[in-house]
Amino acid sequence: MNLRRILSLAWKDTLHLRHDWWLPAFMLLGGAMELLLIGWATSRPVTNLPLMVLDGDQSRASRTFVSAVMNTGTFVLEDYVRDEVAIREALARGTIYAAVIIPPGYAEQIIRGESTIAVLLNGAESIPATEALRAIEGVSSELGLAIMLERMGLDPQDVEGFLPSLRVWFNESLSEAYYTTPAELGLMMEFTVLLFAALSFSRERELGTLEQLLVMPYSRLELIVGKSIPVIAIGFIDFLLMLGVVHFFFDVPIRGSLFLLLILALGYILVELGKGMVISVVSRTQHQAFLLVLLVGMVDFMFTGYAAPVESMPAILQYLANIVPAQHWLEIVRGIMLKASDLRVLWPQIVALIVLGLFIGTFSFRYVRRALY
Amino acid sequence: MPEPKPDRETTLVGRNLVRKFGDFTAVDGIDFEVHRGEIFGFLGPNGSGKTTTIRMMLGLLPPSSGFMEVLGIPVGERPELIRPRVGYMAQQFSMYRDLTAEQNLRFHGTAYGLTNQELRARIDQTLDLTGLRGRRHVKTEELSGGWRQRLALGAAIMHHPQVLFLDEPTAGVDPISRRAFWELLYEQAASGITVFVTTHYMEEAEHCHRLAFIRRGRIIATGSPDELRDRFEDGEVLELAPSDAAEAVRILRRARAREKLELKEIEMYGSLVHLIGPSVRRKKRSIMRELRKAGVNPGRAEIIEPSLEDVFIARMRSAEHD
Repeated sequence: MNLRRILSLAWKDTLHLRHDWWLPAFMLLGGAMELLLIGWATSRPVTNLPLMVLDGDQSRASRTFVSAVMNTGTFVLEDYVRDEVAIREALARGTIYAAVIIPPGYAEQIIRGESTIAVLLNGAESIPATEALRAIEGVSSELGLAIMLERMGLDPQDVEGFLPSLRVWFNESLSEAYYTTPAELGLMMEFTVLLFAALSFSRERELGTLEQLLVMPYSRLELIVGKSIPVIAIGFIDFLLMLGVVHFFFDVPIRGSLFLLLILALGYILVELGKGMVISVVSRTQHQAFLLVLLVGMVDFMFTGYAAPVESMPAILQYLANIVPAQHWLEIVRGIMLKASDLRVLWPQIVALIVLGLFIGTFSFRYVRRALY
Repeated sequence: MPEPKPDRETTLVGRNLVRKFGDFTAVDGIDFEVHRGEIFGFLGPNGSGKTTTIRMMLGLLPPSSGFMEVLGIPVGERPELIRPRVGYMAQQFSMYRDLTAEQNLRFHGTAYGLTNQELRARIDQTLDLTGLRGRRHVKTEELSGGWRQRLALGAAIMHHPQVLFLDEPTAGVDPISRRAFWELLYEQAASGITVFVTTHYMEEAEHCHRLAFIRRGRIIATGSPDELRDRFEDGEVLELAPSDAAEAVRILRRARAREKLELKEIEMYGSLVHLIGPSVRRKKRSIMRELRKAGVNPGRAEIIEPSLEDVFIARMRSAEHD
């Protein structure tokens, strides 16, 4: 190992960044911007879903129901309409997310104990639809309870219902930003490291400079180390920058040890570096490297628990999730930032990362060394 | 014509080298030996196996079978001992285009283990040698072809290698730059560097001390340019300067097809025509008659020394018939 030679390679690769400035710019600013947008977009609960109402009854009871729905704050009244055709069209066009249809004679129906209110939801967009469903269900059960009490002739004041004491830990205000931004932060760093690592050799190959590099007196280990230094540096700077955004712009706390978080970030960078290097020698062009990174990133994204919690995935996928480093890393990020987790809690994730890292690292080093004949 | 400097010390050896890519045999059992201070040329058409041979010698490509030695060390055994003593200039420009000439040289020099002091001196030396001093801060993507070529050569020799591999170094470079480039090469060879160069330019082949004609992965002839000319076995070369060279070639090929003339080669060289065959001298009269009959003035006609190109083409043709 000749340190001077290795640093010279790292210096040379850093010089390329001045030419390909859009690359670090995209990774650093793009990541931060993505965070800002995600943070803003998800920092508030779902509100203002356009709603249409067809009130065929025009009674006090029907108006009570509509105003109860509106009081949830989830909806904004788009229009009162007279026939279902308008509703069907509006749903198809996507101008409304939900519609309430109250049949004539609703008031009498409740008294008889039968209700035929119909609520239509736009299931094509599942997140707003889920929110809408939750709001409607809330309204229905409250109304249902009220009606029941009335028919039993009881005063609501006299009835002590079942009221569990609900407390949300770690994210007291149930802010979406708390959940999404640390995930995004971890994921953006993964992308940055993978991408830069993936370009390291594929770039030289595409530009026709790889053979010149290979005939130089670098040992294969020296080449890999020299190429890794800028990737690690950029990945780490990227992480610091985005951590700053998450913490200062979105007030997401760092309740655990910042030092532990940074050390583990560095460790995680090394794991992803191994994956990126393999992509880098497999790809013949930068283009190909980009696409492979996208593919790997998309699979990892699935296991972040972002789109769906890992715990509710099919058993086989939960099993597979264990060998995805990003999954353990995100547990660590969330754990340290939101739950003040320390080594006693996080050791399974840390051990998993170390094992995966050793495995990926060994394979990667052997593979890359052989590919760089 | 530079004099070859045969030196007993052998720096490059290839024995029964074979390289296959699937069903295709790119290099098909070649043997060669190159001595210290020699400029050894590999002359052959595109796809004949020249680049494959160089890449194997550099350890970039493992051979399918055979043996190679560079500076007495078997290739593939101790790459760390060979690499620092070898320089390589690829066919494609392989300096970093977004770096300046000086940054490229700095990277090269450091990679080859030059200390800071040495580095400064060598960079200046190389910039002077290649005439790039005034362009040291220019990004190489902004340099013209000739300058790039010289920079690449400068980088390849700045660590004072003992062997220099050049793969079609002057492809696409203007004649003046090419001349300057070869002058640089001679200086290197004179100082004891062994040069292994591939080319498909005849004039460039003339510059080599020794040549190997390579065709479809096989060496079909070796020797100095003079030796190759002397051993020319296909007879004599008659050069004509007819009023219409293209028409003259057509007429003579037709006559040959009717078996009125026995000629091995009838080739156009610009406005001249070269006729090759056994005792062409005695057929001069009938050739002239044939041309006049068809209304072409045969012009001056004389027996000349075969050019390297004559030799090369005749060799390639006869290898084809075998």
